Amino acid sequence: MATLDELMQLPGAMAAFEFRGSGELLEQRIAYPERINESTLDLLAHMCAANMSIATMQARGWEKVTHMKGFYPIQEFTLVGFDWSVVVSGLDRERFKDRGKASLPPFTGVVLANEKADYEAAFATMEKPEPAP
Amino acid sequence: MSMIRRILALDGVNVVCHFRDDGYLLEGYGLMARDDMARLAQFAHDYRRMAQGNADQLAMFTGMRGWTPPHGWVLRGVTQSVCSIGNLVCLVDNDEALLNEIMLELREVSHW
Repeated sequence: MATLDELMQLPGAMAAFEFRGSGELLEQRIAYPERINESTLDLLAHMCAANMSIATMQARGWEKVTHMKGFYPIQEFTLVGFDWSVVVSGLDRERFKDRGKASLPPFTGVVLANEKADYEAAFATMEKPEPAP
Repeated sequence: MSMIRRILALDGVNVVCHFRDDGYLLEGYGLMARDDMARLAQFAHDYRRMAQGNADQLAMFTGMRGWTPPHGWVLRGVTQSVCSIGNLVCLVDNDEALLNEIMLELREVSHW
């Protein structure tokens, strides 16, 4: 599982955060408090939780109607805004589900400045294999 | 040659579509039936509107500039991803795609 501190090492990282499936912000790191604050991250987390749910529904429907595979479950959602992007991941939750765990870890997210954003690096950090037990 | 064919030449890109502002498929290339391309175009159009609405509301509720108007979005599944900028959308293979390059190219071509 990528830690918030690891996400903050990504190029252009402005903030990293964790949130519940229902959207509540749990923890955060903020590099530029004059640009983004906890209150903004809380609303952003709710927006991302909503988008993950909707995208998951759409992936389910898409696979059913087209018979294509590989979309469901959605692992990451990215919104590329005008100056900022947000990348959120629910991959760790899916890993826990695969293992039959009842309690799921939070979603993780990172806010990136578009001019430096490296989406591949963000996905690689969020998708890094879990350490062997 | 259509400009959007350039995107199909990038590693990992399996399908690319250009859609009208109402979601109608204008042109599409790649490994997909025409009916599914039309569905993909409509889906991308709908998702674009939703993302636009979310970014607008985020900006309104927080007062934070820089989110709107959004350029695009990426939905990353287990092995496949959907990437969209402007009125373009493409399906990519996660293992082969160089996503940064694809996003840059989508952005450039979307301005044509």
